[in-house]
Amino acid sequence: MLLRYITRRIAVSVVQLLGLVVAVFFLIRLMPADPVARLVGLNASKDAYAQAAHSLGLDQPLLTQFLRYFGLDGHGNGLLEGNLGVSWVTSASVLSEIGQTLPVTIQLLTLGFLVTLLIAVPIGIAAARRPGGALDRAVFIYGLFGGSQPEFWWGLMFIFVFFFQLAIAPSPLGLIDPMSTAPDPITGFILVDSLLRGQFDIFGDVLWHLALPVLTLVFILSGPIIKMVRQNMLRALESDFILYARAAGLREATVTGYAFRVALAPALTLVGILYGVMLGGAVLIETVFSLGGIGQYAVRAVLAFDYPAIQGVVLVITSISLGIYLLLDLVYAAIDPRVTRQ
Amino acid sequence: MSSAEIALAPEPTARRYRPRGRGLLVFATVVVVAILVLAVVGPSISPFDPTLADAEPFLPPPDLAAWPHLLWSGLTGKGEPVHWFGTDASGLDVFSRVISAPRTDLTIAVFANGLALLIGVPAGLLAGYFRNWGTETLMRVSDVLQSFPVFISAMILVALAGQATINIVVALAVLYSPIYVRLMRAEVMTQGERGMVEASRALGVSELAIALKHVLPNSLGPTLVQSSVTIGFAILLTAGLSFVGAGVRPPTPEWGLMISNGASGIMLGQWWPSVFPGIAISLTVFAFAALGDALERAYRS
Repeated sequence: MLLRYITRRIAVSVVQLLGLVVAVFFLIRLMPADPVARLVGLNASKDAYAQAAHSLGLDQPLLTQFLRYFGLDGHGNGLLEGNLGVSWVTSASVLSEIGQTLPVTIQLLTLGFLVTLLIAVPIGIAAARRPGGALDRAVFIYGLFGGSQPEFWWGLMFIFVFFFQLAIAPSPLGLIDPMSTAPDPITGFILVDSLLRGQFDIFGDVLWHLALPVLTLVFILSGPIIKMVRQNMLRALESDFILYARAAGLREATVTGYAFRVALAPALTLVGILYGVMLGGAVLIETVFSLGGIGQYAVRAVLAFDYPAIQGVVLVITSISLGIYLLLDLVYAAIDPRVTRQ
Repeated sequence: MSSAEIALAPEPTARRYRPRGRGLLVFATVVVVAILVLAVVGPSISPFDPTLADAEPFLPPPDLAAWPHLLWSGLTGKGEPVHWFGTDASGLDVFSRVISAPRTDLTIAVFANGLALLIGVPAGLLAGYFRNWGTETLMRVSDVLQSFPVFISAMILVALAGQATINIVVALAVLYSPIYVRLMRAEVMTQGERGMVEASRALGVSELAIALKHVLPNSLGPTLVQSSVTIGFAILLTAGLSFVGAGVRPPTPEWGLMISNGASGIMLGQWWPSVFPGIAISLTVFAFAALGDALERAYRS
């Protein structure tokens, strides 16, 4: 049963991903944009234009371009071999460019979600223990407010207060001090690499530069996550097994602990979903603080009509999201029999 | 059932916290009405032309202490018009642009939501009422659409179609329509089991007539409630797109664009070009979210 469920879920994810790649490929080519003109400029001669179109492969029929992208045209070396192609603007491999920008976003999001959970879980539990109390009412308002805010503006406000007025935050221009150099990459994650190389000053510097971006992220994420923890905690606290635990005379702290274990799983699912959403959604925070993450790479690719880069970004972000959903479903299937029943 | 569906299952109504006071609802209604009014009259009541740069750049707003005096001389018709919120990097009046922007932002959001409803409601009605391979395919297409990263997809659609208002409307509508397909389908499926549908069928009313006359009007509630939330998010997305340079073009008065133009000044302490449009977005989107929440609560009880 479980094995069949797992195989089915993986198969569905792969089909979804393929559908998405095909959809994106044709969608961007059906749009009325002219990437060749964007690349060579509007004043280029007809010859230069034709030459550029040829070198990008855009003079070929759509189907030929499609087969070539997937590596099905007999030459291989396409998507099926893991090759995302070459950026039309920088001529660098899209995969390597994503490999440089994706870790930045992942570090930002992971730190942001960790801090959010550290704050949101205790507050959510406390709010659920006294529904309708002062804290619960504050959480209700904040849940509505924080979940619907322009994070890029709040980022700027934090810069104004903490960098300009109080001068306790670094300038919002990247991950490390411009005077120091990043450690030689091992994993690509600058926080991990600086630790592995023993450069603790760089590690501290990066954390310092990440403080305001993480604060901005926590500000908008904690609203929905507190709300979620509170709801699940309430649901768990009102279930029969908690009633029984109370009747059996267990201490309140123990009862809360039991309820929390039940409430944790759905809350983690929301965290997983939000993480996937924020992979592409962190672009505004990255832009405000010039972090150079995958979102900013996407902006650059889109504005330059760099089709291979656009396809690569969408493919990578969606694969990670689908991977997270798959993992969540598998964890669920292992602990919750309702999931595999259908 | 996927883990996401379990986690996001709606909370039983009885356990929801109900705000006792009407303060939040009053606040939300006032803000939404004010924004709607500004969308109509904003550009015509602006003291300066919101797209004409004829003042000095980076004029700070007048001191708060001077406001009563300036207001008085403004009301009595004496004295020069005042740059209440200062001027931006190109010398545009920030106040005029802030109150003219709802026409851009709200028009995009309202039309995008309307178009999403026009796509999503019929599709959801079909998918919920007639369940066959055709509507199954429709749902799978909607699944794929929903798994696109929203902000990046909106950016792609708008930038490649050309950064015109109509293209932003269409892009947002395409991205938001799956929500309505899903909501409508779920509601239609519960309505289909009700007695009146059985009764009409027994009377020999055609399936299409039942779907349109009985099921459709009874299933519209949740989608209309969702509209308030969607309009709020559409404003946020429109502003975000302009912020990264993939939305409306300057010098259109638009809040996100204004924040983007003011962003470089903030590190030098010039806060006014970006603070005021930001407060406007923050209040507007919060008001739409609060209104949506209140409507949802009223609908469920």
